[in-house]
Amino acid sequence: MLLIENLCKQYGKLTAVDNLSLEVDTGAIFGLVGPNGAGKTTTMKILAALLTPSSGQAWIAGEDVSTNPARIRQLVGYMPDFFGVYDDLKVDEYLDFYAASYGIPVRERRMIIGDLLELVDLNHKRQAYVDSLSRGMKQRLCLARSLVHDPALLILDEPASGLDPRARVEMRELLKELKAMGKTIIISSHILPELAELCTHIAIMEAGRLVISGTNEEIVAHTRTGSTLQIRVMDQADGAALILQEELGLTEIPFLNNSLDIPFSGSDEDLNRILTRMVESGIPVISFSEGKNNLEDIFMQVTKGVVQ
Amino acid sequence: MKRLVLNPVLDKEFRSRMRTWKSPLLISLYLGILALITLGYYWTQQQRIYYSGFGPDIGPQIYVTLTIFQLMLVSFVTPAFTAGVISGEREKQTLDLLVCTRLSATSIILNKLLASIAYILLLIISSLPFFAVVYFFGGVLLGEIAQVFLVYLVTALTFGAVGVFCSTIFRKTQVSVVVTYVIVFFFLAGTAAITAFLVNVRPNFGGVPVIAYLNPLVALYSTFPGSFAQGLPLNFAPGPSGAVGANVTSLQPWQYNFIGDGIIIVVLLFIAVLLLDPVARFSRLKRWFKRKKKVQVDGGEISKKIDTEYTENYEGH
Repeated sequence: MLLIENLCKQYGKLTAVDNLSLEVDTGAIFGLVGPNGAGKTTTMKILAALLTPSSGQAWIAGEDVSTNPARIRQLVGYMPDFFGVYDDLKVDEYLDFYAASYGIPVRERRMIIGDLLELVDLNHKRQAYVDSLSRGMKQRLCLARSLVHDPALLILDEPASGLDPRARVEMRELLKELKAMGKTIIISSHILPELAELCTHIAIMEAGRLVISGTNEEIVAHTRTGSTLQIRVMDQADGAALILQEELGLTEIPFLNNSLDIPFSGSDEDLNRILTRMVESGIPVISFSEGKNNLEDIFMQVTKGVVQ
Repeated sequence: MKRLVLNPVLDKEFRSRMRTWKSPLLISLYLGILALITLGYYWTQQQRIYYSGFGPDIGPQIYVTLTIFQLMLVSFVTPAFTAGVISGEREKQTLDLLVCTRLSATSIILNKLLASIAYILLLIISSLPFFAVVYFFGGVLLGEIAQVFLVYLVTALTFGAVGVFCSTIFRKTQVSVVVTYVIVFFFLAGTAAITAFLVNVRPNFGGVPVIAYLNPLVALYSTFPGSFAQGLPLNFAPGPSGAVGANVTSLQPWQYNFIGDGIIIVVLLFIAVLLLDPVARFSRLKRWFKRKKKVQVDGGEISKKIDTEYTENYEGH
């Protein structure tokens, strides 16, 4: 669906996107992660045919984004991170305006608007002025707007930013529904646990460059220290530390209040052996578990020290 | 062409503009000012009649006063309506959403301008009853009134194009409005000042400097009934100095004004269209160059690969 090759965007001396190459398959939910200023929004704007790249190329469904903007805009539904609405329009008029702007005939428009309002749960606000909607409702309306022309690819820049927890959950459910509808989605967000749950693929960007990309599993595997070992004992923490020193080859085991949380890269057999030895040695183990590194940990790990 | 005429931008602008209380208020205010001028002038003439008898030129006199004031009002109102059409969208963060639709930059710019001009036309047309009063007194031909309305329309279009151009160039509406008013002031007063200067510097040159014809007041003045048009301080009859064939064609000053304004409108709108959507401008040309280059570099292998993938993945999905 999307292919990016050596994409660069420069603003004077500032390089916003630096030699970015990516590939997104049809039907994928692709999470674009990165600190502020990483180049996510610039990349998304280039893909939405709103910015011209300084060099490199990107194709959406075979169409070059910089030379065929009219076709790209038909293929892409874009939702920016910050957007405004026309205060003087009602909700259905707002969607009708954009549907008309995409050249959809009047009869089809009515049906599409009804369907979209139902999808984003705003049917009851159909006759309300856009200005009177809450932030969450406006976000959902903007998402509906980006869907009026039934695009093959959705580019959503921070769709959950500034939303309260309930609105975030609603937005997440909505995106899951779009995923089920088979839409290819590129989404950027700062709420990493939600992205990890939603996305089939993740790319982490920093200072305009791509740091890492792949499926969630590939990224966890790539970062090697993919999990942690969490142990809690009633007492005899020294005995447990001794076993761990022998098994893991570590010189110091930092038990704190009879609890321990250390990086672990061993196998399930290693875990089983450690637990068996502790139980056989009479150490009163309360809990023994492996904690998988989440996207947030990986993000902190791979971007550490580079972010200004 | 159909998309250009029945444009959603035009529809939205009409809907938004006519929905608020500001529109009827502005129309009332506009007509109120014109009524004050007409009635005020009529009242002073009535006083004069009391002493010197009815003057047959009262109709043309009210007409001239009214048309000049209306031109000033049009010049004052047009920048207010047009100087924020694009910068306002940018400030409201709706411009990106508008540009990434299928609407072309030309369509957006033209329809934004048309929507504003349509409202100004509404103001002008709503002032017709005042001209009917003038017609009642006699001394003014219907054709002359039509010419005046044409001057209003062209002036509104020119100042509107200046406003749209400024609002595309400047990011902030405030700056755009100020610059537009400065340019409008230049058209009204600056051109007159430069003309006066040039005429004084070169008194024996003959004719009138071209820049004088850009002044809408000159165009308006040249449409006035005979005796009033002769009151012009300069001899406009031979046409602008340096204009090729001007002596032969013997165009009226308002016709020269329309030609000059027409060129300005086209140039300004063309630049505005180019600036509004930098990705889409010359896209066909860029596509042609890229295709040619690609064929030379890799024989179109990448394109072929992507096209095949798209056909397999997307269309088959």
